[in-house]
Amino acid sequence: MYAQTQKDTLSINTVEVVANRIPEAYKKTAFDSLTINEAVNLSELLQEHSPVFVKNYGSGGLSTVSFRGTGASHTKVLWNDINLNSPMNGQIDFSLYPTIFFNNAELHHGASGLIDGSGSLGGSVHLSNSTSYNRGLKIGLQQAIGSFNTYTTALKVGSSNKKWFTETQLYFNTSKNNFKYLNNALQEETISTQNNANIKQYGFQQAIYKKNKSGEVGVRLWYFNSDRMLPPTMQVNVNDENQKDESLRALFEWKGLSGNLKYKWVNALIKDQLIYTNTLAQINSKSNSHLISSKLLTRYYLKNNFILTNNISITHESAKADGYNNQHNRQNYTWLLGITKNLNRLNIDVFNRFNRTGENTRLFSPSISVNYGLLKHKQLKIKANTGINYNFPTFNDLYWNPGGNTSLKPEEAQMVEFGVSYDHLKSTHTTIQFEATSFYSYVYNWIIWQPTLEGYWSPSNIKEVENKGIELSVKMKTKINKLTLIANANYSYTASTNLKAKNEFDNALDKQLLYVPYHKINYTIRASIKSFSVNYNYNYTGLRYTSSDNNWYLPANFTSDIGLSKKLKTSKKSSCNISFKVNNLFNQDYQSIAWRPMPGRNYLGTLTFLFN
Amino acid sequence: MKSLIYISIAFTFFLLSCSKKELGPQCVDCPNDFTETELSDVLIVNEGPFMTGSGTVSLYKPSNQTISNNVYFQANAGNNLGNIAQSITQIDNKAYIVINNASKIEIADINNFTSLGTITGFNSPRYMLPINTNKAYVTDLYSNSIQIVDLNSNSISGSIPLSGWTEELLLHNDTVYACDVTNNNLLLLNPNTNTLVDSVKLGVQPLDIVKDQNNKLWIMCNGGINEANPKLIRFNPTNRTIEHTFVFPSIAESPGNLKINATGDQLYFINSNVYKMNISSNSLPTLPLITNNNNIYYGLGIDPTNEEVYVSDAIDYVQNGVIFRYTPSGALIDQFTAGIIPRDFLFIQ
Repeated sequence: MYAQTQKDTLSINTVEVVANRIPEAYKKTAFDSLTINEAVNLSELLQEHSPVFVKNYGSGGLSTVSFRGTGASHTKVLWNDINLNSPMNGQIDFSLYPTIFFNNAELHHGASGLIDGSGSLGGSVHLSNSTSYNRGLKIGLQQAIGSFNTYTTALKVGSSNKKWFTETQLYFNTSKNNFKYLNNALQEETISTQNNANIKQYGFQQAIYKKNKSGEVGVRLWYFNSDRMLPPTMQVNVNDENQKDESLRALFEWKGLSGNLKYKWVNALIKDQLIYTNTLAQINSKSNSHLISSKLLTRYYLKNNFILTNNISITHESAKADGYNNQHNRQNYTWLLGITKNLNRLNIDVFNRFNRTGENTRLFSPSISVNYGLLKHKQLKIKANTGINYNFPTFNDLYWNPGGNTSLKPEEAQMVEFGVSYDHLKSTHTTIQFEATSFYSYVYNWIIWQPTLEGYWSPSNIKEVENKGIELSVKMKTKINKLTLIANANYSYTASTNLKAKNEFDNALDKQLLYVPYHKINYTIRASIKSFSVNYNYNYTGLRYTSSDNNWYLPANFTSDIGLSKKLKTSKKSSCNISFKVNNLFNQDYQSIAWRPMPGRNYLGTLTFLFN
Repeated sequence: MKSLIYISIAFTFFLLSCSKKELGPQCVDCPNDFTETELSDVLIVNEGPFMTGSGTVSLYKPSNQTISNNVYFQANAGNNLGNIAQSITQIDNKAYIVINNASKIEIADINNFTSLGTITGFNSPRYMLPINTNKAYVTDLYSNSIQIVDLNSNSISGSIPLSGWTEELLLHNDTVYACDVTNNNLLLLNPNTNTLVDSVKLGVQPLDIVKDQNNKLWIMCNGGINEANPKLIRFNPTNRTIEHTFVFPSIAESPGNLKINATGDQLYFINSNVYKMNISSNSLPTLPLITNNNNIYYGLGIDPTNEEVYVSDAIDYVQNGVIFRYTPSGALIDQFTAGIIPRDFLFIQ
C-alpha cells in the first residue's frame, strides 16, 4: 500500500541502498507521502498519524516527542542517517521541521533505535530525501492561506537527466497565531486572544546528485530560520519573550552497491544557533552548537542468507552557551556490528553497538530479534526482540554553570518487545494490515535536574522508571467501484511508573510519569473518487498528570480535522490541486500543556501547481 | 469495510459525548473543606508549578492539626491566583498575596478569603511592606524600582527608581530598609518623600532582613552561587554601621530564610539544616536545631505566639510539598502536606 502511494510523488528511488533498514521484528511506523505532504510539520505528522506522544507548548511553540513513556531527549531524530539532536539538551523541536524538506519519514520504536545509534531509549525518527533520474523538469508551487493570518509559500524544483539530479526547495511561513480561546484562568471565564505569538519561518534545501555505475554521489544543503515570539501562559498577563533558531545542515553522501556489498558513506556538518530574549527579565542569551559527523554504513550479503552489517561513525560535537564557562567539545565513536540470518520463515538479527562518547565507553549495547512467518504466504508474523541502549549526558547536564555534573553516567534502558502482525490480502482490491506490539522497558540512571542544598539545581542519575504498554495499528485499503477507501488507525497504551522515591514523603513513587498519557488514539479515513478526495482525522490524547503525585491532571482531549481536495488537469504537463482543511472541526477547547491554550476551529486553504 | 467506518464514526461520537467539559488542570483529591480562618491560624503560600501553574494558599490550624489546601480557589469559585505566588503580607483584615510571574498582587479577606481586588501593573513583584494605612512598598526582581501602592485605590501610585533586584524590606523608625541584591547593598529609603537616602555595602546577595529586640537589623547575604562566603550581618540603624559580620565557613553554603521570633532574641535560618541563633551569640551556630534528614528545606516560618518552627520541603517541585512543625527546641509536633512548592508562612494576627 505504501509503495503504491509513494509512486505518486516526485521521486522513485532508483538507487535507494543501505537505508538504515531495521529488521521486521521491530515495531516501526511509516508514513505515506500523501500523509507527509498534508501535515504542516513533523510535529503535526506524528501527533495525528502515529502512536507516539507529542507535547505542544502551545500553537507554534516548542514541540517535543516521547516514545513509550521516555523523555524528549530519548527520542533521536536522524536526517539521511545523520543525528540532528542538539548536543546541548539532547532534544529536537519538532515544530521546526516543515514536511516539505523530506520525502520519507519513519519511526523506529523501542530497541530498534539501537541500530540507528545510541540514545534512543524510546525510539527514533528517520527523515530522508530521495533522488530520481531521467525525469526531466518538475516544478511544484504551493500557496496556503489559513486562519490567524497564516501564509505559507513553498516551491520545489527538481530536474534530472540520466546522470544528474538536482532539487531546490524554498519555504516561507508566517503567522500571527493570534487565535481566540476560552480563558478559564481569569476571574471570569472569557474569550481571550493569544498575543505575542507571531511566527516567521523560512528555509531552503538544495541537492545535487550524480549517478554512477554502482550508485550515486551527492551533496545536500539545508538552511532553516525561525523567529517566534513566545506567548505567555494563561496564568501570566504580560511577557515579551522571543526565540530565534537558525540551522545549517550540509551533507555529502556516496552510496552504492558493489558486488555483495552495499555501502553508504555520509559526512555532515550541522550548525545550530538559538537566541532567546526576554525583555522584562532583561535576558539575552545565545547558544551555538556544531556537529561534524562521518558515517560509513555497510551491508555485506554472504552465502547461506547471512547478512553482515558493519556501521562506524565518528562525531565531533561542540557547543558554547551563556550558561557554560567555556566552549565544550566531545568526540564520539560508535561501531555497530550485526549479523542477520534469513531462513524461509525465520529471520534472526543480532546486533551490538560499541560506543565511546567523550570519556564514557560502553562496549556492549546488544539487541536480538526474531521474526517468524506463519500461514501459507507468511501473512501472519510473530515477532520478538530485546535490547539495551545508552543515552549519554548532554552538555547542559555536564557543564551548565551552576549545577553541571561532570560525573554523570549514561542513562540506560533495557527493552523487550513482543508483537504480531497480519497482512490480509483478500483480493487485489482490499488490503488489511494489522499489528499489535506489547513492550516493556526499564529505564534507569535517568538524568533529572533537582534542587540542591546549595540552592541551585543540579542533574543526577537518580530516576528509575518502568514502562509497559501496547501499540496497535490497522491499515486498510479497499476499492468499491470508483471509490477508494483508506483507513489508518493507531492506538497506544502506556503505563509509565516512577520506581524511585526521593525521600519518605515523596508521593511520586509508583505513580504515572508527568505528561505521559495512558491512552492515545488517532485514525484517518480517506475516500477518493477520481480526482476528488475527502479525509477525516480523529485524534484522542488521554488524561495526563501534571503533578508527580498524580493529584493534578489535564483532561483528555480529542480533535477532529476534515479535509477536501480536488485535482484539476490544466494541460498535458501541468495540474493543479485545490484543498481545504478544517482543523479542530468541533471547536474543542483544550490544552496540551497546562495553561497553554490551543486554537479552536480553524481553516487552511491550499493551492498547489504542479508541472512535469 | 463499510461497517468498520460506521463503527469508527460511532466511536468518535461516543468519545465526544461521554466526556464532561473539563478545561485545564483538574484536581483528583482537593476537598472542599475550607470555612474560615481564625486568629493564630497559619497560612502557607505555595508557589505552584514553575512554568505553567498557579500558586495556592493552604490553611493550617495548629489547634486541631488540620490542613485545608487551595483556600483561595475554594473561596473564589475555582479562581486561581496566577503563576508563582511569592509572598503573603497581612494588612489589617486583608491578605496581600504577591504573584511574581503574573506581575500582580491578589487581595483577599483574611477571614473568608474572598477576593477583594487585584493590584496590577508590576513587573516581577517580590515582597510587600505596609508603610501606613494608605501606602505600601513592593520590591521587584526586574523593574529597577520599588513600586508605591495606594492601599485605598489598590493601584500603583508611583515608584522609586533603583538599579536591579530588590528583595525583603522592613520599616524601622520612619526609614525603610531594603535588600538590594544586584548591588549587594542595604538601601535606606525615606517613606515620606519616597526617596533613596543612603546605601550601605553588605555581602554578596543580601536577601533577608529582620529586626531584633535591641532594634538592630540582621541581614542574611547568601553569597551567590559559589561567588563569596555567605555572611550574616548585624547592622545598627542608629549610626548606619555594620556592627558585626558572621562569615560562613564554606563558599558552597547557601543560607537563607532568615526569621526571628516575636520576642526578637532568637534568629532562625535554613542552611541545609534549620539553625537557631541567639542574638547575643558571638559565633554562628554549629549544631543544627533540625537536621535535614534527606529533605531539602525550602521555606521557614516562626509562629510569633509560641515560637514553633514550620519548615517546608518541596520534594521534587512538581508535587504537593510537605510541612514539618517543630517546638522551639526542635521536637517534631506534626507533619502535613500543603500545596506545590510551599514557600511563605503567615501567622494570622
